Amino acid sequence: MKKAFTGLAAALVLGTVGTTLHNAPAHAQVLEAAVAGSPAGLDPHIVTAFTSTQIVGGTIYEGLTTIDKNLLVAPALAESWTVSEDSKTYTFKLVSGATFHDGAPVEAADVVASLNRVMSADIASPLASRLAAVEMAEAVDASTVKVTLKEPSAPFLTALASIAIVPRQFETDKEGLQNAPMGTGPFKFEEWQPNGFIALAKHEGYWNAGLPKLDGVKFNIIPESATRQVGLISGQYGMLPNIDAATALQLRGQPNVAIAETLELAYTLIGMNVSKPPFDNPKVREALNYALNRDEIVQAALFGAGVPGGPLSPALTEWAVDVAEFSCFAHSVDKAKALLAEAGVTEPIKFTLLVLPRQDIRDIAQVVQAQLNNAGFEVELNIPEIGQFVQDWRNSNFDAFASINSGSIEPDDYFYRTFRTGGSTNVFKYSNAELDGLLDNGRVALELADRQAIYNDAQKVLACGGPVAFLTYGQLFTATRDTVKGYEIMPNRSLMTLTTTEFGQ
Amino acid sequence: MRLLRTRLIELVVVLFGISIITFLMIRLIPGDAVAIMLGANTEVTPERVAELRASLGLDKPILVQYVDWLAGAMTGDLGVSIWTRRPVIEEIGAHVWPTVQLTVFALVLGAGLALPLGVLMARLRGQGWDVVLQIGSVAGLTIPSFWLGIMMILALTVLAPGVQMLGYVPFSEDPLGNLARLLLPSIALALPILANLARLTRSAMLDALQQDYIRTARAKGVSERSILFKHALRNALIPFVTSVGIMAGYLLGGAIVIEQVFAIPGLGRLILGAIAERNYPLVQATILVVTVAFVLINFVVDLLYAIIDPRVRH
Repeated sequence: MKKAFTGLAAALVLGTVGTTLHNAPAHAQVLEAAVAGSPAGLDPHIVTAFTSTQIVGGTIYEGLTTIDKNLLVAPALAESWTVSEDSKTYTFKLVSGATFHDGAPVEAADVVASLNRVMSADIASPLASRLAAVEMAEAVDASTVKVTLKEPSAPFLTALASIAIVPRQFETDKEGLQNAPMGTGPFKFEEWQPNGFIALAKHEGYWNAGLPKLDGVKFNIIPESATRQVGLISGQYGMLPNIDAATALQLRGQPNVAIAETLELAYTLIGMNVSKPPFDNPKVREALNYALNRDEIVQAALFGAGVPGGPLSPALTEWAVDVAEFSCFAHSVDKAKALLAEAGVTEPIKFTLLVLPRQDIRDIAQVVQAQLNNAGFEVELNIPEIGQFVQDWRNSNFDAFASINSGSIEPDDYFYRTFRTGGSTNVFKYSNAELDGLLDNGRVALELADRQAIYNDAQKVLACGGPVAFLTYGQLFTATRDTVKGYEIMPNRSLMTLTTTEFGQ
Repeated sequence: MRLLRTRLIELVVVLFGISIITFLMIRLIPGDAVAIMLGANTEVTPERVAELRASLGLDKPILVQYVDWLAGAMTGDLGVSIWTRRPVIEEIGAHVWPTVQLTVFALVLGAGLALPLGVLMARLRGQGWDVVLQIGSVAGLTIPSFWLGIMMILALTVLAPGVQMLGYVPFSEDPLGNLARLLLPSIALALPILANLARLTRSAMLDALQQDYIRTARAKGVSERSILFKHALRNALIPFVTSVGIMAGYLLGGAIVIEQVFAIPGLGRLILGAIAERNYPLVQATILVVTVAFVLINFVVDLLYAIIDPRVRH
């Protein structure tokens, strides 16, 4: 009897294995993705950490505008808009047939409520500064919204892409969306098992008819990189979105695995505190640039998957200045030492480099350390825990730091807050009247050609004399099972092309 | 009854002490929830940060925060998660079962196999097999379970591609899927326990077998089997049970690593995530729950002594 029972148990266990294998295709229309980080809430206006935005942006939520595959502003919930003569009034026409996931139609009142929600002090949204130019938003009729600006704002339409439209009843509700997000996007929220998964299901009433193609997407939260890789190889997961070169190289060549890649907007950098020695001296900052060998960094720390880059990503073909135009990007130890001599500082220049605790940044920091020590600096690395890093970074409590910034498709979006005197993320305490003037003009100039000229100048000011030594732009990868079709990797890490993703042969 | 009363008093004292320590420790780590929430790259003004801090109650002095928390805890309200705004009790409830299952499976597997294996090793002492088992047990003790876990995942990927072995499904939803997914992590978690307990059983058995009462039993003609299992093993059980009790506590710690490797949403992941996110109420409550479990397990072990060793009852 006992033996029979053991046999039965074994058969059951083996049977499970068999059926799991057999059942796999039955789940085929739900894409199982594996991501590393657990989101800290799903309210698109409150939590702006990447672990959250990658899951909800473009899937559950949409803005009036969107950023398309070519990194240009495109219509989304607003099918069209007109701009007044003085560039201060925008009138948006909402797309017809759009509904929230509860079935309610999307009306102008919802758009107004969403914009007000972001701007409200009570909600304390970190996105509020993106709408700093907005004077007021009002509903003209059910499908027309009029937004009045305090002054003309070139980046306004880009900024709107990052402002999710939520149902009006959440205007003053701080908590409702954290657990149960509700938007207008192609996928609706289904279930969140903390530390387990977030399941999204197809939004049947999606305004863009015929989309999405998948029945659902399940984001499995898998903290361990080796586990994610094995899960993809074994077929348990269909997609590992936005992975780094080290992981991608290990997956390349595995059977039934496809790898997509693109140059990303995020850049690695050495940020310098210009409010105290040694980096208060522009010559020392320039010397540091000469001392760096960016090609070597790409080879040694990014496995060759990346390019040296200046203030803007080469992916932004309309904006980025070729790095060949920046004299200090040509590696030269002699030039670095000559500049240090000119600056009248005694070698070696000792400083501590605060390092973001992430593997790729650690690798880069070590290469940078070796290069700088070779050219008159003496660098000590300090790799704290993430909370400590963020605190020191925010309080400008560093000589210099090594980190990665996400970048933006709109130059104003990060130049202004990062480099303008008093900017909200100007942790370097950098202040340059010439640059401030350029950045102010860049906001109000509306013609593309004018703006390009302005930001060309800004890039040249920043590249060699600014508070940041721009290092590299990495390749970004997404690994999928080769049956996953129609997904396109985006340089800004958005997963919005899940809308057109499907399973094929 | 008196045992129960002293234990309860002990539990309250321990819980009080732990609550103060965790409350201070988590707040001593630099960087708070707001900084993590915003990430390092969003445009925020100090005023916004201050507003957010105030809305989470983080702007009050630590002592006031502690008293507020304690007052809530007394009435059974352990607070809400900073992030999801759900009661922390609910969050813990959602994470407790995978860990309990994993712990129990590993304990049953480890302790269940350790006993016969230890007896066997004591019986085979000095022979070739004893040496092999000894080497095996040292290996079991020293191989880190996270490494073993990853190796097992890799091996199974090659041997049985397509098997769903990562993550967790509740038993009520898919009993077989649940067991299949817990098999590998349980083995990885059980191995060090098995090795440890087997060695312990072996030495306790060897010790017992040299006692006078064994010689007496042999002299009066008791069968070898009866000597081994009735006389020697019963005495060897006391250190064994003590160790099992302690290990149940350590298993909760080992589960943190294994849950990470096998992507199981258990208490270990919950605590780790909560610490990383500075989710103070959640860390606080989870550690309290684990402490209670630890104390209760030790209480059960004390009761077991009384069953095994009649002398304790008096």
